Amino acid sequence: MLEIDGLTVAYGKMTALRDVSMAIRADDMVALLGGNGAGKSTLLNTISGLVQPEKGEIRWQGQSLRGLGPDIICSLGIIQVPEGRKLFPAMTVEENLLMGAYLPAARKVRRQSLDWVYSHMPHLAQRRRQRAGSLSGGEQQMVAIGRALMARPRLLMLDEPSLGLSPRASAEVFAIVSNLNREGMTTIIVSQEVQETLSITSYAYVMENGGIALHGPSAALREDPEIKKSYLGL
Amino acid sequence: MDPVLVIQSLISGVMMGMVYALLGVGFSLTWGVMHVIHISHAVFGLLGAYFAYTLLTLYGVDPVVSAMVSTPLLFIVACAVYQVLIRPLTKAREMVVASMILTFGLAIILENLLVLVWKADPRLLTPSYASESWIIGPFYLQYPHLIGFALSLVGISSLYVFLKKTTTGMAVRAAWQNQEAARLYGVNLFRISMITFALAVSTAGAGGISLALLYSFEPHSHNLWLIYLFLVVIVGGVGNVIGTALAGLIIGVITGLSMAFLPYQWVNLITFGLLMVFLIFRPHGLFGEVG
Ligand SMILES: Nc1ncnc2c1ncn2[C@@H]1O[C@H](COP(=O)(O)OP(=O)(O)OP(=O)(O)O)[C@@H](O)[C@H]1O
Ligand SMILES: [Mg+2]
Repeated sequence: MLEIDGLTVAYGKMTALRDVSMAIRADDMVALLGGNGAGKSTLLNTISGLVQPEKGEIRWQGQSLRGLGPDIICSLGIIQVPEGRKLFPAMTVEENLLMGAYLPAARKVRRQSLDWVYSHMPHLAQRRRQRAGSLSGGEQQMVAIGRALMARPRLLMLDEPSLGLSPRASAEVFAIVSNLNREGMTTIIVSQEVQETLSITSYAYVMENGGIALHGPSAALREDPEIKKSYLGL
Repeated sequence: MDPVLVIQSLISGVMMGMVYALLGVGFSLTWGVMHVIHISHAVFGLLGAYFAYTLLTLYGVDPVVSAMVSTPLLFIVACAVYQVLIRPLTKAREMVVASMILTFGLAIILENLLVLVWKADPRLLTPSYASESWIIGPFYLQYPHLIGFALSLVGISSLYVFLKKTTTGMAVRAAWQNQEAARLYGVNLFRISMITFALAVSTAGAGGISLALLYSFEPHSHNLWLIYLFLVVIVGGVGNVIGTALAGLIIGVITGLSMAFLPYQWVNLITFGLLMVFLIFRPHGLFGEVG
């Protein structure tokens, strides 16, 4: 579904991604792991079209995404839940959700999408008129995921969705994400919660210093003691 | 203090304040959404005023009609100005500073063009009803002031409804609260910036016409207007529409009262003293930044 081939990205003189390749199949749930500054967010932002690569290629269902802006990529159904949530704090919960359905195709079905999001996250429905900035961290993360769902994703990319959340809110986020994947949502999840993430994903890539250090089935990574020690800090 | 005079100057203050508010809201939007401090904002107000003045003196066109014509015209002009002058600035490292310098230059050029075309003499918008008033008990409301007030109220309300109720208006607010997230969900920042800029400039034109119904104007009047704009935006909070409108009213009332009871040279001293106080003690305004 998504293929990345030899991707190299630089911020000015600093290379943030070197020769990254990976592939994600439809219905997969893939983990993207790695320490701070490894390049995980840069990879997602490059897929989303916020950052343009220096070299390499991203293909979506066989079609190259080279040179496309974030609006086109969004309209293709490649949707990111950004790191740190990045809500519109002075807008209400519902306005935030509706912004997810900003582009025409998603806008046409925004009423159905709202019902769908509220059915997955019932307590957002109670908060629909509240300012997003006034919610708790866990609720804000739900709004961020809900906003992404409003865009009708075919590939959902979550960047550290449990960062800074209480264990309970974090568990809830993981439950919702794996539930969505069970319903057929292709997903990439970036997370520092290695155990939890490996247990809900089928395949994992580990990044280090802008490159892919290793990859393999999540279950295998979880079992391998050598890998656990040197890469995953377990 | 004579209570009739107090109330009378309160009324003038509110009328003036509404006009400041309309001019201020656009200024505040360009600042908040685009990080452009648009120094030539008030010159576009003057452009509106001269447009109405010309139509009135040559063809007897009512200023309200001129406002309805100038708004779409200025919208188109502003789109062009955005594409040619403002958009290339997005590459600048210091957008705020670059935009101030550029639009300062634009203000000087436009001001001199105004002098060339209309001469430096002060002008006054004097429609047929210029000297009529609506008299309620001891108070009188001059028709031109009332119309300027109403025009501004309509302008601000339309901007508010646009921002709150339309999809594009929502995208404008989104872009200013979090640019990156707005882009991720498909908002084209160039398009949104162009619309914001054009709306601000076209409402400035209507604001200029409203102001010209209250006071006489000349090609350099925009300098004083601009300082009032800074005051209104700083008191109201950058980008906050309701806050800016309230700040306009507050400042209008303060100016109105000080004009009635203090020697003229004190009026500006008080208003700009207020500006300093706000910059030092409440740099985010009375009502916060976003709204
Ligand atoms: N906008 C930017 N401009 C310049 N350098 C950047 C920018 N964004 C990230 N970097 C640098 O690129 C490298 C990779 O950063 P990135 O945010 O992709 O890492 P990450 O794996 O997401 O880390 P984290 O776990 O901290 O989120 C880091 O060295 C970072 O400092
Ligand atoms: Mg990151």
